[in-house]
Amino acid sequence: MTPFSSLAAACDAVRAFIRRSADEPRTDRFDELALGLFAFQFAHNTPYANLCRVENRTPETVTNWRDIPAVPTRAFKSLDLTVLPEAERETVFRSSGTTQADRSRHFHNDETVALYHASLWPWFAEQLIDDSPNRLLLLVPRLGQALESSLAHMMDVVTKRLAKREQCFAADGDWRIDGQAAVNFLHDCATQNEPVTILGTAFSFVHLLDHLDAAALEFQLPSGSAAMETGGYKGRSRKVSRVDLQRAITDRLGIPARRILSEYGMCELSSQAYDGTLGQANAAPRTFRFPPWARARVLSPETMQEVALGQAGLLQVTDLANAGSVLSLLTGDLAKRRDDGFELLGRAEPAEPRGCSLMNLNHA
Amino acid sequence: MPETSLDYFLADKPGAELSGSLLAEACQTLRHNRDDYLAQVGNEPIIAKLTEVAGLWRSPGYELRKIALAADPEETGFPPEVLAAGLDACFDDWTQEKFFMLLAQEFGDATRLQSFASQPNRTHSMVHGPQLIVHIAPGNLPVPVFQSIAFGLLLRSAQFVKCASGKSLLPRLFGHSLHTVEPGLAASLEIAEWRGGNESLESALFAEADCVVASGSDETIHATRQRLPLAKRLVGYGHRVSFGYVEKLACEVMGTQAILTHAADDVIAWNQHGCLSPHVIYVEQFGSLKPERFAEMLAEELEARNETMPRGPISTEEAAAITTARRFYKIRSANNVGALLWESDESTDWTVVYEDEKQFQSSPLNRFIYVKPIEQIEEALHVLEPIRESVSTVGIAASEARMRELAVPLARWGVPRICQLGQMQRPPLAWRHDGRPPLGELIRWSDLETA
Repeated sequence: MTPFSSLAAACDAVRAFIRRSADEPRTDRFDELALGLFAFQFAHNTPYANLCRVENRTPETVTNWRDIPAVPTRAFKSLDLTVLPEAERETVFRSSGTTQADRSRHFHNDETVALYHASLWPWFAEQLIDDSPNRLLLLVPRLGQALESSLAHMMDVVTKRLAKREQCFAADGDWRIDGQAAVNFLHDCATQNEPVTILGTAFSFVHLLDHLDAAALEFQLPSGSAAMETGGYKGRSRKVSRVDLQRAITDRLGIPARRILSEYGMCELSSQAYDGTLGQANAAPRTFRFPPWARARVLSPETMQEVALGQAGLLQVTDLANAGSVLSLLTGDLAKRRDDGFELLGRAEPAEPRGCSLMNLNHA
Repeated sequence: MPETSLDYFLADKPGAELSGSLLAEACQTLRHNRDDYLAQVGNEPIIAKLTEVAGLWRSPGYELRKIALAADPEETGFPPEVLAAGLDACFDDWTQEKFFMLLAQEFGDATRLQSFASQPNRTHSMVHGPQLIVHIAPGNLPVPVFQSIAFGLLLRSAQFVKCASGKSLLPRLFGHSLHTVEPGLAASLEIAEWRGGNESLESALFAEADCVVASGSDETIHATRQRLPLAKRLVGYGHRVSFGYVEKLACEVMGTQAILTHAADDVIAWNQHGCLSPHVIYVEQFGSLKPERFAEMLAEELEARNETMPRGPISTEEAAAITTARRFYKIRSANNVGALLWESDESTDWTVVYEDEKQFQSSPLNRFIYVKPIEQIEEALHVLEPIRESVSTVGIAASEARMRELAVPLARWGVPRICQLGQMQRPPLAWRHDGRPPLGELIRWSDLETA
């Protein structure tokens, strides 16, 4: 293929790929498009190109999308990994974190934001929209209050696409849950027999459930109701295991396990993976899948080669929708390779220094 | 001795059903056995037996040592070469002289363990160890467990050692060597393993203990403290970190190769597991050896040493932590932003990261070492302020005179142990773990005031 002449052309090509993949999911253009984006990023993303040169993996030597050098997500904290010149960095998605130095920065302009939107919606819709015309309860701030949150952008797209449905945003700019607003909305859903989908981070769900506990409230939400939780606590609430959180959502809100989905996403990526579709969530093993325009591989940390089925390793994602930054990312997550996706095992980077703390009464 | 005949401790019986009442009974038996033998024996015979055990472990042909070195590294945590070096370093230090020096250091007069002995102020004092010590053993290194057991024997205490799940092999083998040399010593020792957090087993055990010695994360220590009745003594050893320090004239005094050898010794010992292993080596700037050059040469040294003492396989989690850290420094190094990376080819065997940023950085371990520049000791203490409470050991490369000078600000700042680089994982038998008296923490004094 001819190299991309501009970022707009690159984004257009990925959008076309996304549109086509709905009709022909087994397209083999992924490789070609990935190599084209790699060449474009190599030419315009200087810190990334420096890495590629050191590793001697450049557009001249790389002929398979699997060999495109991967950048660790952590590098987004200290390097400007973007093809955008400084003046064109109109939007930035930041990860949550306690200090600026501790937060990733993923730069965007209107083109790449539009591509992000084009990527997130069809896969969200495929997993989380069915015949039930659910209302939406969002445990995230409105976009205006959280301009640097990729999740707030995502929910903005979702609520605009579903503008005809009744909606309630129940978090402020500091991600604090307005428990009363949420309860009123859920109460209304229950009394009107209107099913509802609740969307939020794991810590927001914990806050909501804590609020219900404190008020001694419990809902049996109408049939068809659903929940989508996305990982991460980052010290914002007590940690609750995924199993306990899901059980509490079932117990306190009456949403059955098969309608509680997890989303795997991060500000450094432009596509998301889900661990099932409505009505079939929480099957074992809990397998996450990305859309056709993003491919996950599980790599052996010793050899950086893909592991065999059922084996564990580091999760690497090649996301075509990351046209304006770096398409190949090495996440800090451990995963197990599954037939058509991956099972998440946890973080690869230890949260605290180890040594003697390897021994722990609770985890020995 | 074939391993099948190792059947003495609870941990020797895989799949044995443990219960609170079983543990309580076991503790009662330990107390009786202690009264019958251990409590009656003098210092000399106990120390003689301990040094005899150490002698067995030092000899390459010793059956139990051979079992330890032949065991699956997943069970011991280490490949045979690393384990052998660690065992030798430990047992070399177990001599009669050093045991008696330990007693003298702790009590002034070793006879205090058996009778009143006079003090300069004309009172007479005697010391008593706890009747029953419960050890919550660390899961990473075996040596501290051997030492704890030896110390308990010196204090004539019955002991129950709770090992981390799957980590009892080496403590068991040590227990069996005691049994071979003197069955009476092993009769007041029990070793068991289970996954920590078992409320019913641990409550039963804590109820029997006179003193609990726990090693682990700060949360573990805290949780243990909350579960112990007020009257029971807890000696907790929480998480600590260590670092190396190369003074700017060290090369002239010691030679560059000697410093590199010592630095590599500390990185290789126990594959950096344990509180005494360095995460970072600070190298003083403006000396003849540039910190970056030191890092590069240390990488060559680690590569060479990996031939003679391979690091061995590690878990996917451990390797993943190394790989993610390496990728991060690789891209920083490629962009020339204050970091350089040297790494083993197609494996995670060893990694050296040079970083301008002076803050302490915790390493993913398993031979992953940071090298950082530092102007002088005052600057080091300033940047290390966030971890002041957590430092265990500082290993120094410098002339002896300069080392004595550096030690003063380090000690005032709060470092409990300062040693030569290369000796970080070889503390002497009588060392004061976290700055606390090794036996003094466990005992109770009785004073006799006469006319």
